[in-house]
Order: sequence, then structure tokens, then C-alpha cells
Amino acid sequence: MNVVKAIGWRKLRFRFDWTLTLSALTVAGLGLVNLWSAVHDRQGNLFSQQISWLGLGAAVFLGVAAFDYRNIARLGYIMHAAGVALLTGVLLFGKIVGGGRRWFDLGPFHLQPSELMQLLTVIALGKYLNDSPAFEERSWRHLAIPVVIVSLPVLLIAKQPDFGTAFLLLLIFFSIMMTARLKLKTLAAILGLATLAAFPIYQHLLHEYQRKRVEAFFNPNSEGAYQARQALNAIGSGRFFGKGFLHGTQIRLRHFPALWTDFPFAVWAEEWGFVGCAVLLMAYLVVILWILKIAGEARDRFGATVCVGVASMLFWHVIINVGMVSGTLPVVGVTLPLISYGGSSILTTAAALGLVMNVSVRRFSY
Amino acid sequence: MEIAGQDAELPEIRRRARHFALFVLIAFVAIAGRLFYLQVFQGDVFFRVTSDSIVRTDTLPAVRGQIRDRKGKVLATVRPSYNVYGTPGVVKPEVFARLRALLGMNGDEAMDVWERLAAPQNTRTPAPILIAEDVSREAMASIETGVDLPGVKIVSGPRRSYPYGGLAAHVVGFMNEISADELRSKKDEGYRAGDLIGRTGVERQWDGYLRGHAGFQKVVVDRRGMPKTDIRDVIEGPATKAAVPGNNVVLTLDVEVQKAAERALRPASAAGAVVMDVDTGRLLAMVSKPAFDPNEMSGHLTPEAEQRLLADRYKPLHDKTVGETYYPGSTFKAVSAISALEDRLVTPEEKTKCHGSFELAHHVFRCTKTHLTVNLYDAIVQSCNVYFYELGARPGMMDRLAKFGADLGLGAPTGLGLNGEEGGFLPTEEWYRDQKRKNPKAEGFQIGQAVNAVIGQGSTRVTLLQMVTLYAAIANGGKLWLPQIVERVESPEGKTLEEFAPRVRRELAVSPETLATVRQALVGVVNESRGTAYKARLKDIEVAGKTGSAQVQTGRGEGGYESVTHAWFVGFAPAGRPKIAVAVLVEHGGHGGDVAAPPAMEIVDKYFETVAPADKDAPHVGLPRRRAPKPADGQTGAEATP
Repeated sequence: MNVVKAIGWRKLRFRFDWTLTLSALTVAGLGLVNLWSAVHDRQGNLFSQQISWLGLGAAVFLGVAAFDYRNIARLGYIMHAAGVALLTGVLLFGKIVGGGRRWFDLGPFHLQPSELMQLLTVIALGKYLNDSPAFEERSWRHLAIPVVIVSLPVLLIAKQPDFGTAFLLLLIFFSIMMTARLKLKTLAAILGLATLAAFPIYQHLLHEYQRKRVEAFFNPNSEGAYQARQALNAIGSGRFFGKGFLHGTQIRLRHFPALWTDFPFAVWAEEWGFVGCAVLLMAYLVVILWILKIAGEARDRFGATVCVGVASMLFWHVIINVGMVSGTLPVVGVTLPLISYGGSSILTTAAALGLVMNVSVRRFSY
Repeated sequence: MEIAGQDAELPEIRRRARHFALFVLIAFVAIAGRLFYLQVFQGDVFFRVTSDSIVRTDTLPAVRGQIRDRKGKVLATVRPSYNVYGTPGVVKPEVFARLRALLGMNGDEAMDVWERLAAPQNTRTPAPILIAEDVSREAMASIETGVDLPGVKIVSGPRRSYPYGGLAAHVVGFMNEISADELRSKKDEGYRAGDLIGRTGVERQWDGYLRGHAGFQKVVVDRRGMPKTDIRDVIEGPATKAAVPGNNVVLTLDVEVQKAAERALRPASAAGAVVMDVDTGRLLAMVSKPAFDPNEMSGHLTPEAEQRLLADRYKPLHDKTVGETYYPGSTFKAVSAISALEDRLVTPEEKTKCHGSFELAHHVFRCTKTHLTVNLYDAIVQSCNVYFYELGARPGMMDRLAKFGADLGLGAPTGLGLNGEEGGFLPTEEWYRDQKRKNPKAEGFQIGQAVNAVIGQGSTRVTLLQMVTLYAAIANGGKLWLPQIVERVESPEGKTLEEFAPRVRRELAVSPETLATVRQALVGVVNESRGTAYKARLKDIEVAGKTGSAQVQTGRGEGGYESVTHAWFVGFAPAGRPKIAVAVLVEHGGHGGDVAAPPAMEIVDKYFETVAPADKDAPHVGLPRRRAPKPADGQTGAEATP
């Protein structure tokens, strides 16, 4: 069978990218340590669930890495269409949690299709860029199909409403398009238009609680600033060496919603201090830069753009999450890859890394 | 599907991927910089914020010191009490209704408490609110063991208690909760919200000695306020500090004398009495009637009780011994006599004719009766006004009175410093002229004012404490004492920390002969048959003193309680070797000799009967041997030589 032949277990074994795997495992390991601290005294079952997710993630990682990515590229648009269907479905049948319709309730666990959609968008964009070479720098006319690819999920996610993820998807989109030789002038024009549109969007499209979060960011005394202030106190109070494993007090004793999904970095920063933060950021940096190095060595545009897409996905998640937790950006529900608790996030990241491994393994096969 | 390796775009994509890598690196450095700023530069600030938010500092209240009399009788102490608290939002209406029935709260009180319990809270963990204070043991037992009352708890705490109740209430004083304003101004002194602070009397004046220093205990708590014993290292500095109990203040007051004085004043509605040791200036009793019960005043006074106290026409909260000034009336004649003798306006022998009135510039000044021929001695003994009117009409008498009055301690606070001591007032000619300058309708200075001032009317105002100090100085030969109410301060273990020796304010600039002349006349007031206090004299103790019936200008309707004169008696005993000075004032009591002298005599009698019987025996001064006494009233005096 064609499909069976396509599975390259041998290739995977000989060309296995240990740097990528080990640096990602380092991040995941730190995340587990951190999760234990966050949940051991209240919801210990989350820890074992997270281990299950990571185990499943490892399988997904290897599975995605084993197929020749060209087979995946071929299915790019179909998978994208399926993702869009899921997003539409979640709007119709999803479970409402915290003012947003983001999850499918699948009994024991919740599926959040917007996480998976990020990777599917990256793959679809990769397929488009691969199929439509451009000889000069890309400009407006090359944007038509990519805009369709990205705007469908962005609008559906914004409808949930989850502006954080929608915005993140746009950032990933621009990161990929810039790498794929988008004209600087075009980018500047788009950003200019976006700035003009920002105010009416803020006024009319954002929900009350979202505006509150943004206002909270600019006005630290407002009502919505509670989480942000608690997080900031937790981080700052970690000082240079931290309060020590399991000795975080702010996190443990204060009321702290979304502790292990959106704010694990605050736990980490409080207990391990600046030193711990530097180590964690360093681990992320190694993963991201290594993926970009793989992007540079990819044998084709699909491999290169997908790697850039995955790198930017990780990058923007980390920057936005740490930025919001440290009071640099408004509070939006963006996860910290491999560290935040949650199956959708873990599995999506694992699949994305598997795809990168795939590109890395096959960079020399012509 | 694509031409592998032949892609013209790839080199440019690789280049841009490297640029993206650089961008990533810069962004990470920036975020690390932000974290460095937060955790290293600002770390200590945040650390304090977080530790403050989870460390609860519980106050360990200090036990307040006792107030005792000179013989160790406890006037103010601390006893355990039980207070009921409720957590807002947790105490449900039906729970409160049951609690209300248990505590027997009345409607208004209950409404008040419930309003505070039901008020919306702006914190996640509202502080418990005081529902009832000092509940009985029975009520406590039923709250604690009987029915389940969620959100209600009993907190035991020390409570100020005054075993003698209203005895010497104005001296001891009372306490109540510190106000928000005071809290702001006294933050450095360690006062906290909810603390009681001395309001009047020694409780207020000696608060700093009595209150001690509260300790604290720092506990790590979770957001529900539950202690977390496993986390300790966030507490900076010592975790506990024991409370230092306050010191005991020992008064010069003698409970026995105080009791005697209060009993002596039992017929009076509003009165004051002060007893001073003439050899030390120490106050043995200070009575202001009516009094209040400091047990009731300390803590949460019910609004009705407060209204009742404030509306009382006899002003129970007012300390009449130091906080109120009165016309001295005839008791001031001692000052007038001293002024006249010292400035040699008269000799003791000079005589004046009293026809019952004195006329000056078409104005008639009345005497108590027609005394006929009187000298200084007779004028004091019989309280003849005409004799003194003549002195008052002499040029410069007003300022002379002010000068000698001031030397004798009038016109300025004595320095006791209790209960907002008043200074009284001694008018001068200049003051009257000044009044005229301010208000052209005023009379300005006229001789008539000096004529009034010389008999203790007009604008002259004194306090009881000033008068007792003045008469003590006459009695002891010219020592004007600084009145003393606190004898010493003791540590809780009973060790004397500070002892206050008697302090002389000054030696009077009055010759001993003048003082002797006045003393002799004061003996006559009580012991001469025509003396104004003769009817009140004691059988075996020779008392000296002066009565007074001070007219009161109230402007209220004639004939009522307020139009009756204030009755005064100020004196000392025993006359031959004075030990104590006594001042008694009965507000609107009538004639001093009839109303004020008897209680004064009773106090003296009781003092030498029970407190200091050894001091009772003293050589009698007797009456002067100057003329043949009339047979009818010549029985007084053993004719002993002074």
C-alpha cells in the first residue's frame, strides 16, 4: 500500500532530531513540575491527566513525524475545511464556559478546535505558498487566497468570542507571509488599515468583559485588573531565586482563576524567580530557533513555511502569554505551549512539533 | 509536484527566516528584561505586597493598668468579658432573629446591628461585626452550646470595670472607642481601630501610663482567613510580640474620704466638694454631683442613656470641681481682706458702721442685714458686705484684688490638668475698659464693679479646686500647693516606677500676720455665735472657714431653681493645726451657712473620726479676747491662747 510505504519509520530512526525533541521535552518537563505545584493541593487529578495528554502527544508527535509531509500537504485544504467545519460546529453545539462558546463537550474531556485550527491554517498556508510560486515579492494580488484561508477561522474564532486566539492567528499569518516574501510596503499598508479599524472594532465588536480587560491593562485600579494584579504580584515576589518549589504563597493562598490554563507562568515565576524564568525562556528559545533553523534547511517551500508557521505559533503564544501575565499586555486567554494544562493545546503543539520533525527528517531527501 | 532544490524562492525565504529568528531573539531578550525589572529591581516591593496580603497580624491586646486609691482600693480594673460577633453575609435573617431573642436586644438596637450586618461588603472576606458587648454568661452559654448559629461567634476580651461604680467617677473617668479622627492623629502611638481610649479623668490624662503596649502575632492565612501553619518563611521579622501590660496609677484619693464626701452631699441635686491635705496639696476627695456610672459609659452607651445624660439639667458629665467656674461670693472676702491688710488700707481694728446698705452714685448695694459697728473680724464672721463695699470703693481696689487673687492662685488653672480644668477669671479695670472699646454699649470700668468684685460677685469666677487650694494656703501659712491627684505609678507587679512628691506652686507674698488675722476671723465664722456657719459647728473639732451665698445671674425666670444662690463653704480643720482643707459648693442651694457648711462639717467629722483620728486633737485657736462677750452667746471657745 502506498500509505504504508509512506510511513518512514527507518528514516525517522536514523535522522531523528534529538535537539528538537529534547528541548521540547525539557519545556514539557518544566511544565509538569510546575503543574504539580499548582494543583497538588487542590486538583491532583489534573496532573495525571496532563501526563496522559503528554503521552498521547508523544504518540501524535511520532505519528505525524513518520508520514512524508508531502502527503500531509496534499490534504492541507481538506483538513483546513474540516477545521472550519469544527469551528462552525462549536458555535452551534459548543459548551459555554466563561462567556465564550469554545469547547466541544466530549464527556471526559473538552475539545477546543481553535487550538487545532492554528496548525491547520499553517498547513493550508504552506500548501498555498508551495503551490503558487511567485517570482517577485508578494503583494496584494498574492494575498487573496491566503486571506480567505486565514480569515475564515479568524472570524469564526472571533465569533466565539475569543479575540486572543483570533489575534494570535493573524500574527501567525503575518509571520508566515513576511517570511514568504510579502512586500514590506504591503504589510505596512495592511497594518495601517488595521490600526484605523481597531477603534470601531474595540467599540462595537468587543464584549463588555473584554473591554474591561483592556481597560484594566491601561488602568491598574479598575475592576477587571484583579487577575492581572495578582499575577504581577506573584511574578515580582519571586525575586531572583524564587520562593522555592511548592512554596509559592500568592498563587496558593489567593483566589486565582485560570491558574493552570492561562497563568502557569505566574506560578513558575513565583517559585523559581528570575533564574527559573530565564531557564524556561531559554528552553523555549532553543525550540523556536531550532525550528527556524530547520525551516532554513527545508528542501521545499512547504517545509520551510510550515516550520516558520510552527515557530511563530510557539513564539507568539509564549510572548503573549508571558506578556499578559507580567502585565505587559492585556489579559487574553492564550495558553503557554507544553506548560498550560489542556489536551487540545498539548496535542496541537505535539502535532506541530511532529510536523517540524517530519521536515527535519526529510530535509535531505530529494 | 515541485522541483525540489530548484525553488528560486527558497534562498529568500531562508534569509527571512533568519531575520525572523533575530526578531524572536530580541523579543525574548525584551521579555526577559521586563521580568528582570519586575523580579529583581521591584522584587522586594512585590514580595512585601504578597506577604502583607497573606500575613494577618493579630493584635494581642495589653491589659490596662489599674487605678487605685492611696490605700490600694481598686477604682478601675480589667475583667474578662464575652462579646458576640457576626460575619456580614453569613448571618442569615432567621439566625439573627434567634440571636436577638437570646440576647434580648431591643428593636432599635437590633435594627442598627442588622443594618450593618446586611450592608453590602466590598471585600471578599468581610470583617466580623460586633453584635453585642459583654453578654451575660448565660447568654454566652446558650449561644455557644445550644442552637447552631452560623456566622456568629463569641470572642472573649478584657473589659474595663469600675468596682465602685459612680464613686469618684469624674476623677477616675471613663473610656470609649477611639474615633476615626483620633486614630489618624494618634497612629504613631499605636492606637488601632476599635481600641478604647480614656475620655475623661485619670483614664484620659494618664492613658499613656495605663494602656501598656499591644503585642501582635503574625499568621499566614489563605484567602478565607484560615491559618496556614505550614508556611512560615514569608513572615518578616519576629512572628510574635508579647503585649506589655499597662502600669497601675495610684491616686492620692482616699475612698473612705470620697465616700464620706459623697454621702455628705446626699441632699444636694448638683454639688461639688474637694478635700485637700493642706500639708501636701494632695487631694483626698473630689466629688462632682450628680455623677455617672463609668461602667455604663465605657464601651457602647445606648443612645437613650446618652440622651438622658446629655439632657440632664444637673449635667452629670460635667466635672463641677474643675470644669465649672462660679462666683465665689463671700468666700472671696478672704482675698479681699488679705488685699486690704497687705496694702494697709485698713488695720484689723478699724471700724465701719453698717446700716444695711451702701450707697454709691445713686446705686444702693445691699448688705445681708444691719450689722452696726463692725471691724474686719466682725465683717468676715458675720459676712458684712458694707464693710467690704467701702474697701471696694477705694481707688485701685479692682486691680489690687486681681493682683492678690492671682497670687493666691485664682484666675489661672491650678495645674491639676484634669477634665479640662478651667482657670476662672479675675477682672481688672483695664479689662472693663477693653470691654467698652469692643462694645460701646458696655459700661466700661466703674467703681461699682469693684464694689461688686470685693464680695465675690461681678465678673469674678473661680473653681472649687482653686478655692480649696487657696484656703489650704491660708491654713498652712502661705504654701500654695500644686494640687496633686496621682501619688505614684506602679508596675503591674507592684514595683513603684515613679513617685510624685508634693510640689509647691509658690510661697504666697502675704505676711504671716495677715494670714493669722484672716485665720482668726475664719475660726470666728464657725465658732462665734453670730458667725454665719455657727449652726453647723462640730462639737469636738474646731473648724475654720467662710460661707458664701453667690448670687447667680441666669436670666431665667425668677423664683425657680436657677434663681437661688449657690451655697459655698470653704474652710480647714482643725483650726489649731490644720490638716485638711474642704470646699463645698451646692448649686442653687441657698445660704452657704445652712446648706454648704453642714456637709463640709460632716466630711471633716468623718475624716477625723475614721481616717485620721490621730490628727483630731489640736490646740484650739478660740475666739479673740477683745471685748466682753454678750452673756447669751458667750459659751464658745476655751479661751486658749493661740
